[in-house]
Amino acid sequence: MKVLRVVWQVLLLTVLNEAGGWVVQALQIPIPGSLIGLFLLFALLKSKVIRVEWVEAGATFLLAEMLLFFIPSSVQIVDFGAVVQKSGVQLLLVIVFSTATVMAVVGLVTEKIVRWKKGGRKWKQGTQSSV
Amino acid sequence: METGYAVLSLILTVFVYIGAKKMHRRWTYVWFSPLVVAPIVLILFVKGSGIRYETYWSGSQWISDLLGPATVAFAVPLYKNWEIMKKHAVEIVTSCLAGILIAVGSTCLFAWAAHLSPMLITSLAPRSVTTPFAMDISSRVGGQSSLTAVFVMVTGITGTVIGPWLLRQRALRSSISRGVMLGVSAHGGGTALAFTVGPLEGTVSSLSMILTAVVSLGLIPVLLTL
Repeated sequence: MKVLRVVWQVLLLTVLNEAGGWVVQALQIPIPGSLIGLFLLFALLKSKVIRVEWVEAGATFLLAEMLLFFIPSSVQIVDFGAVVQKSGVQLLLVIVFSTATVMAVVGLVTEKIVRWKKGGRKWKQGTQSSV
Repeated sequence: METGYAVLSLILTVFVYIGAKKMHRRWTYVWFSPLVVAPIVLILFVKGSGIRYETYWSGSQWISDLLGPATVAFAVPLYKNWEIMKKHAVEIVTSCLAGILIAVGSTCLFAWAAHLSPMLITSLAPRSVTTPFAMDISSRVGGQSSLTAVFVMVTGITGTVIGPWLLRQRALRSSISRGVMLGVSAHGGGTALAFTVGPLEGTVSSLSMILTAVVSLGLIPVLLTL
Protein backbone atom coordinates (compact mmCIF):
# COMPACT_ATOMS: atom_id res chain seq x y z
CA MET A 1 0.00 0.00 0.00
CA LYS A 2 1.27 3.40 -0.96
CA VAL A 3 0.49 5.22 2.30
CA LEU A 4 2.20 2.52 4.37
CA ARG A 5 5.27 2.66 2.16
CA VAL A 6 5.54 6.43 2.60
CA VAL A 7 5.13 6.10 6.40
CA TRP A 8 7.77 3.37 6.59
CA GLN A 9 10.20 5.36 4.47
CA VAL A 10 9.65 8.56 6.44
CA LEU A 11 10.45 6.52 9.57
CA LEU A 12 13.68 5.33 7.98
CA LEU A 13 14.61 8.94 7.15
CA THR A 14 13.76 9.92 10.75
CA VAL A 15 16.11 7.21 12.05
CA LEU A 16 18.90 8.59 9.83
CA ASN A 17 18.17 12.08 11.15
CA GLU A 18 18.40 10.80 14.74
CA ALA A 19 21.63 8.96 13.89
CA GLY A 20 23.00 12.27 12.63
CA GLY A 21 22.02 13.82 15.95
CA TRP A 22 23.92 11.15 17.89
CA VAL A 23 27.04 11.68 15.78
CA VAL A 24 26.89 15.43 16.45
CA GLN A 25 26.50 14.83 20.18
CA ALA A 26 29.25 12.22 20.35
CA LEU A 27 31.77 14.28 18.38
CA GLN A 28 30.67 17.67 19.78
CA ILE A 29 30.72 19.26 16.32
CA PRO A 30 28.83 22.50 15.59
CA ILE A 31 26.74 21.09 12.72
CA PRO A 32 23.00 20.26 12.76
CA GLY A 33 22.40 16.50 12.98
CA SER A 34 20.10 16.51 9.95
CA LEU A 35 23.04 17.51 7.76
CA ILE A 36 25.10 14.53 8.99
CA GLY A 37 21.99 12.42 8.27
CA LEU A 38 21.94 13.80 4.72
CA PHE A 39 25.60 12.90 4.12
CA LEU A 40 25.04 9.51 5.77
CA LEU A 41 22.10 8.67 3.49
CA PHE A 42 24.03 9.92 0.47
CA ALA A 43 27.00 7.69 1.35
CA LEU A 44 24.70 4.70 1.95
CA LEU A 45 23.03 5.27 -1.43
CA LYS A 46 26.38 5.66 -3.21
CA SER A 47 27.76 2.49 -1.63
CA LYS A 48 24.53 0.63 -2.55
CA VAL A 49 23.85 -0.31 1.08
CA ILE A 50 20.46 1.41 0.75
CA ARG A 51 18.64 1.18 -2.58
CA VAL A 52 17.05 4.40 -3.78
CA GLU A 53 13.62 2.69 -4.02
CA TRP A 54 13.66 2.16 -0.24
CA VAL A 55 13.58 5.89 0.50
CA GLU A 56 12.34 7.57 -2.66
CA ALA A 57 8.58 7.65 -1.91
CA GLY A 58 9.13 8.99 1.61
CA ALA A 59 11.67 11.56 0.47
CA THR A 60 9.39 12.78 -2.33
CA PHE A 61 6.54 13.18 0.16
CA LEU A 62 8.67 15.14 2.67
CA LEU A 63 10.12 17.42 -0.01
CA ALA A 64 6.72 18.08 -1.59
CA GLU A 65 5.13 19.07 1.74
CA MET A 66 8.11 21.02 3.08
CA LEU A 67 6.16 24.27 3.29
CA LEU A 68 3.97 22.68 5.99
CA PHE A 69 6.96 22.12 8.28
CA PHE A 70 7.75 25.83 8.34
CA ILE A 71 4.26 26.92 9.36
CA PRO A 72 4.43 26.27 13.16
CA SER A 73 7.58 28.38 13.64
CA SER A 74 6.14 31.17 11.51
CA VAL A 75 3.13 31.50 13.83
CA GLN A 76 5.62 32.51 16.55
CA ILE A 77 5.49 36.05 15.20
CA VAL A 78 2.59 36.61 17.66
CA ASP A 79 5.22 36.65 20.45
CA PHE A 80 6.97 39.66 18.93
CA GLY A 81 4.07 42.08 18.76
CA ALA A 82 6.06 44.97 20.26
CA VAL A 83 9.08 44.64 17.95
CA VAL A 84 6.83 44.14 14.94
CA GLN A 85 4.75 47.21 15.81
CA LYS A 86 7.81 49.37 16.33
CA SER A 87 10.08 48.26 13.47
CA GLY A 88 7.89 45.92 11.43
CA VAL A 89 7.77 48.05 8.29
CA GLN A 90 11.54 48.67 8.29
CA LEU A 91 12.23 44.96 8.91
CA LEU A 92 9.93 43.94 6.08
CA LEU A 93 11.48 46.46 3.68
CA VAL A 94 15.03 45.36 4.58
CA ILE A 95 14.14 41.70 3.99
CA VAL A 96 12.24 42.31 0.75
CA PHE A 97 14.88 44.60 -0.80
CA SER A 98 17.80 42.49 0.32
CA THR A 99 16.18 39.26 -0.91
CA ALA A 100 15.39 40.87 -4.27
CA THR A 101 19.00 42.10 -4.55
CA VAL A 102 20.43 38.66 -3.73
CA MET A 103 18.07 36.92 -6.17
CA ALA A 104 18.77 39.25 -9.07
CA VAL A 105 22.55 39.30 -8.60
CA VAL A 106 22.91 35.57 -7.94
CA GLY A 107 20.67 34.76 -10.91
CA LEU A 108 22.68 36.97 -13.24
CA VAL A 109 26.08 35.86 -11.91
CA THR A 110 25.16 32.19 -12.32
CA GLU A 111 23.73 32.78 -15.79
CA LYS A 112 26.98 34.50 -16.75
CA ILE A 113 29.12 31.59 -15.51
CA VAL A 114 26.83 29.09 -17.29
CA ARG A 115 27.29 30.94 -20.58
CA TRP A 116 30.99 31.54 -19.99
CA LYS A 117 31.47 27.79 -19.50
CA LYS A 118 29.60 27.14 -22.73
CA GLY A 119 32.01 29.40 -24.62
CA GLY A 120 32.16 33.06 -25.56
CA ARG A 121 30.67 32.58 -29.02
CA LYS A 122 27.22 31.69 -27.77
CA TRP A 123 27.35 34.41 -25.14
CA LYS A 124 26.68 37.10 -27.75
CA GLN A 125 23.71 35.33 -29.29
CA GLY A 126 22.13 34.66 -25.92
CA THR A 127 19.55 32.42 -27.53
CA GLN A 128 20.63 28.95 -26.48
CA SER A 129 18.01 26.79 -24.82
CA SER A 130 18.11 26.07 -21.13
CA VAL A 131 20.55 23.48 -19.86
CA MET B 1 -7.54 22.22 28.55
CA GLU B 2 -3.94 22.98 27.54
CA THR B 3 -3.50 19.49 26.12
CA GLY B 4 -6.79 19.83 24.27
CA TYR B 5 -5.59 23.04 22.62
CA ALA B 6 -2.21 21.45 21.82
CA VAL B 7 -3.87 18.54 20.03
CA LEU B 8 -6.25 20.95 18.30
CA SER B 9 -3.23 23.05 17.18
CA LEU B 10 -1.65 20.02 15.55
CA ILE B 11 -4.79 18.92 13.72
CA LEU B 12 -5.77 22.44 12.75
CA THR B 13 -2.31 23.24 11.32
CA VAL B 14 -2.48 20.21 9.02
CA PHE B 15 -6.03 20.95 7.89
CA VAL B 16 -5.42 24.67 7.38
CA TYR B 17 -2.35 23.75 5.29
CA ILE B 18 -4.33 21.27 3.17
CA GLY B 19 -7.08 23.87 2.71
CA ALA B 20 -4.57 26.60 1.82
CA LYS B 21 -2.90 24.28 -0.68
CA LYS B 22 -6.24 23.50 -2.35
CA MET B 23 -7.08 27.19 -2.46
CA HIS B 24 -3.68 27.97 -3.99
CA ARG B 25 -4.29 25.36 -6.69
CA ARG B 26 -7.54 27.08 -7.60
CA TRP B 27 -6.35 30.70 -7.33
CA THR B 28 -2.66 30.66 -8.18
CA TYR B 29 -1.90 34.23 -7.03
CA VAL B 30 1.39 34.44 -5.12
CA TRP B 31 -0.35 36.00 -2.12
CA PHE B 32 -2.38 32.81 -1.80
CA SER B 33 0.75 30.74 -1.16
CA PRO B 34 0.13 28.28 1.73
CA LEU B 35 3.09 29.92 3.46
CA VAL B 36 1.14 33.19 3.61
CA VAL B 37 -2.45 32.04 4.09
CA ALA B 38 -1.92 29.25 6.64
CA PRO B 39 0.10 31.30 9.18
CA ILE B 40 -2.46 34.14 9.00
CA VAL B 41 -5.36 31.75 9.71
CA LEU B 42 -3.41 30.08 12.53
CA ILE B 43 -2.37 33.41 14.10
CA LEU B 44 -6.06 34.35 14.12
CA PHE B 45 -6.76 31.03 15.85
CA VAL B 46 -4.05 31.60 18.50
CA LYS B 47 -5.15 35.20 19.09
CA GLY B 48 -8.87 34.39 18.94
CA SER B 49 -8.76 31.49 21.38
CA GLY B 50 -6.46 33.43 23.74
CA ILE B 51 -3.89 30.62 24.06
CA ARG B 52 -0.17 31.32 24.28
CA TYR B 53 2.23 30.52 21.42
CA GLU B 54 3.87 27.86 23.66
CA THR B 55 0.57 25.98 23.83
CA TYR B 56 0.19 26.12 20.06
CA TRP B 57 3.84 25.07 19.68
CA SER B 58 3.58 22.14 22.13
CA GLY B 59 1.15 20.49 19.75
CA SER B 60 2.38 21.67 16.37
CA GLN B 61 6.12 21.14 16.98
CA TRP B 62 5.59 17.56 15.77
CA ILE B 63 5.15 19.04 12.32
CA SER B 64 8.30 21.16 12.66
CA ASP B 65 10.22 18.04 13.72
CA LEU B 66 9.72 16.65 10.21
CA LEU B 67 12.10 19.36 8.96
CA GLY B 68 15.00 17.12 10.09
CA PRO B 69 13.97 14.05 8.08
CA ALA B 70 13.08 16.41 5.20
CA THR B 71 16.67 17.73 5.24
CA VAL B 72 17.94 14.13 5.17
CA ALA B 73 15.57 13.48 2.23
CA PHE B 74 17.60 15.93 0.12
CA ALA B 75 20.14 13.13 -0.25
CA VAL B 76 17.73 11.40 -2.68
CA PRO B 77 17.54 14.09 -5.41
CA LEU B 78 21.24 14.74 -4.77
CA TYR B 79 22.07 11.08 -5.40
CA LYS B 80 19.84 10.82 -8.47
CA ASN B 81 21.30 13.99 -10.02
CA TRP B 82 24.90 13.60 -8.91
CA GLU B 83 26.31 13.76 -12.44
CA ILE B 84 24.57 17.09 -13.09
CA MET B 85 25.91 18.36 -9.76
CA LYS B 86 29.47 17.44 -10.59
CA LYS B 87 29.08 19.09 -13.97
CA HIS B 88 27.89 22.39 -12.51
CA ALA B 89 30.00 22.52 -9.35
CA VAL B 90 31.76 25.74 -10.46
CA GLU B 91 28.53 27.71 -10.96
CA ILE B 92 26.95 26.47 -7.78
CA VAL B 93 29.93 27.01 -5.48
CA THR B 94 30.84 30.45 -6.88
CA SER B 95 27.26 31.68 -6.80
CA CYS B 96 26.69 30.41 -3.26
CA LEU B 97 29.71 32.33 -2.02
CA ALA B 98 28.61 35.47 -3.89
CA GLY B 99 25.07 35.01 -2.60
CA ILE B 100 26.13 34.78 1.05
CA LEU B 101 28.31 37.90 0.78
CA ILE B 102 25.56 39.90 -0.93
CA ALA B 103 22.87 38.62 1.45
CA VAL B 104 24.78 39.50 4.62
CA GLY B 105 26.20 42.71 3.14
CA SER B 106 22.94 44.12 1.79
CA THR B 107 20.97 43.05 4.85
CA CYS B 108 23.37 44.80 7.23
CA LEU B 109 23.60 47.86 4.99
CA PHE B 110 19.81 48.26 4.56
CA ALA B 111 19.20 47.51 8.26
CA TRP B 112 21.80 50.06 9.29
CA ALA B 113 20.26 52.63 6.94
CA ALA B 114 16.84 51.91 8.47
CA HIS B 115 18.28 52.65 11.96
CA LEU B 116 17.51 49.19 13.31
CA SER B 117 19.08 48.12 16.61
CA PRO B 118 22.28 45.99 16.61
CA MET B 119 20.28 43.08 18.08
CA LEU B 120 17.87 43.21 15.14
CA ILE B 121 20.73 43.53 12.63
CA THR B 122 22.49 40.43 13.95
CA SER B 123 19.16 38.58 14.03
CA LEU B 124 18.58 39.60 10.40
CA ALA B 125 22.05 38.70 9.08
CA PRO B 126 21.56 34.91 8.62
CA ARG B 127 18.01 35.27 7.24
CA SER B 128 18.77 33.71 3.84
CA VAL B 129 19.97 30.47 5.47
CA THR B 130 17.64 27.56 6.13
CA THR B 131 15.94 27.76 9.58
CA PRO B 132 17.90 25.37 11.85
CA PHE B 133 21.23 26.76 10.62
CA ALA B 134 20.06 30.36 10.71
CA MET B 135 18.89 30.02 14.32
CA ASP B 136 22.22 28.46 15.27
CA ILE B 137 24.23 31.21 13.53
CA SER B 138 22.02 33.91 15.09
CA SER B 139 22.67 32.72 18.64
CA ARG B 140 26.41 32.49 17.90
CA VAL B 141 26.61 36.14 16.81
CA GLY B 142 24.39 37.55 19.56
CA GLY B 143 21.04 37.70 17.80
CA GLN B 144 17.62 36.44 18.94
CA SER B 145 17.20 33.04 17.31
CA SER B 146 13.39 33.05 17.54
CA LEU B 147 13.25 36.42 15.75
CA THR B 148 15.69 35.03 13.17
CA ALA B 149 13.27 32.14 12.60
CA VAL B 150 10.59 34.68 11.71
CA PHE B 151 12.96 36.64 9.41
CA VAL B 152 14.00 33.41 7.68
CA MET B 153 10.31 32.70 7.23
CA VAL B 154 9.62 36.15 5.73
CA THR B 155 12.63 35.71 3.43
CA GLY B 156 11.18 32.39 2.24
CA ILE B 157 7.81 34.00 1.59
CA THR B 158 9.45 36.94 -0.22
CA GLY B 159 11.34 34.48 -2.41
CA THR B 160 8.18 32.60 -3.35
CA VAL B 161 6.40 35.90 -4.04
CA ILE B 162 9.02 37.61 -6.24
CA GLY B 163 10.50 34.34 -7.55
CA PRO B 164 7.84 33.69 -10.22
CA TRP B 165 8.31 37.21 -11.53
CA LEU B 166 12.11 36.79 -11.81
CA LEU B 167 11.63 33.38 -13.45
CA ARG B 168 9.79 35.09 -16.30
CA GLN B 169 12.80 37.34 -17.04
CA ARG B 170 14.55 36.46 -20.29
CA ALA B 171 18.03 36.97 -18.80
CA LEU B 172 17.55 33.96 -16.51
CA ARG B 173 16.96 31.07 -18.84
CA SER B 174 19.12 28.17 -17.70
CA SER B 175 17.81 25.67 -15.16
CA ILE B 176 21.07 26.06 -13.27
CA SER B 177 20.82 29.80 -12.68
CA ARG B 178 17.12 29.52 -11.80
CA GLY B 179 17.80 26.81 -9.25
CA VAL B 180 20.85 28.49 -7.71
CA MET B 181 19.04 31.82 -7.49
CA LEU B 182 16.10 30.35 -5.56
CA GLY B 183 18.16 28.10 -3.27
CA VAL B 184 20.78 30.66 -2.29
CA SER B 185 18.36 33.55 -1.72
CA ALA B 186 15.26 31.88 -0.29
CA HIS B 187 16.32 28.47 1.16
CA GLY B 188 13.40 26.02 1.63
CA GLY B 189 10.74 28.37 0.28
CA GLY B 190 12.76 28.99 -2.87
CA THR B 191 13.55 25.30 -3.20
CA ALA B 192 9.88 24.37 -2.91
CA LEU B 193 9.18 26.85 -5.71
CA ALA B 194 12.10 25.50 -7.75
CA PHE B 195 10.65 21.97 -7.57
CA THR B 196 7.43 23.28 -9.13
CA VAL B 197 9.51 24.54 -12.08
CA GLY B 198 11.29 21.22 -12.62
CA PRO B 199 13.30 18.46 -10.93
CA LEU B 200 16.64 19.86 -12.11
CA GLU B 201 15.80 23.36 -10.84
CA GLY B 202 14.67 21.85 -7.55
CA THR B 203 17.76 19.71 -7.16
CA VAL B 204 20.16 22.54 -8.00
CA SER B 205 18.21 24.76 -5.59
CA SER B 206 18.40 22.25 -2.75
CA LEU B 207 22.14 21.73 -3.23
CA SER B 208 22.64 25.52 -3.27
CA MET B 209 20.57 25.82 -0.11
CA ILE B 210 22.58 23.11 1.67
CA LEU B 211 25.89 24.57 0.54
CA THR B 212 24.80 28.09 1.57
CA ALA B 213 23.87 26.75 5.02
CA VAL B 214 27.14 24.91 5.60
CA VAL B 215 29.35 27.74 4.34
CA SER B 216 27.33 30.39 6.23
CA LEU B 217 27.83 28.55 9.51
CA GLY B 218 31.55 29.20 9.18
CA LEU B 219 31.47 32.47 7.25
CA ILE B 220 28.78 34.68 8.80
CA PRO B 221 30.32 34.88 12.31
CA VAL B 222 33.58 35.99 10.64
CA LEU B 223 31.83 38.52 8.37
CA LEU B 224 29.99 40.11 11.29
CA THR B 225 33.21 40.86 13.16
CA LEU B 226 34.43 42.99 10.23
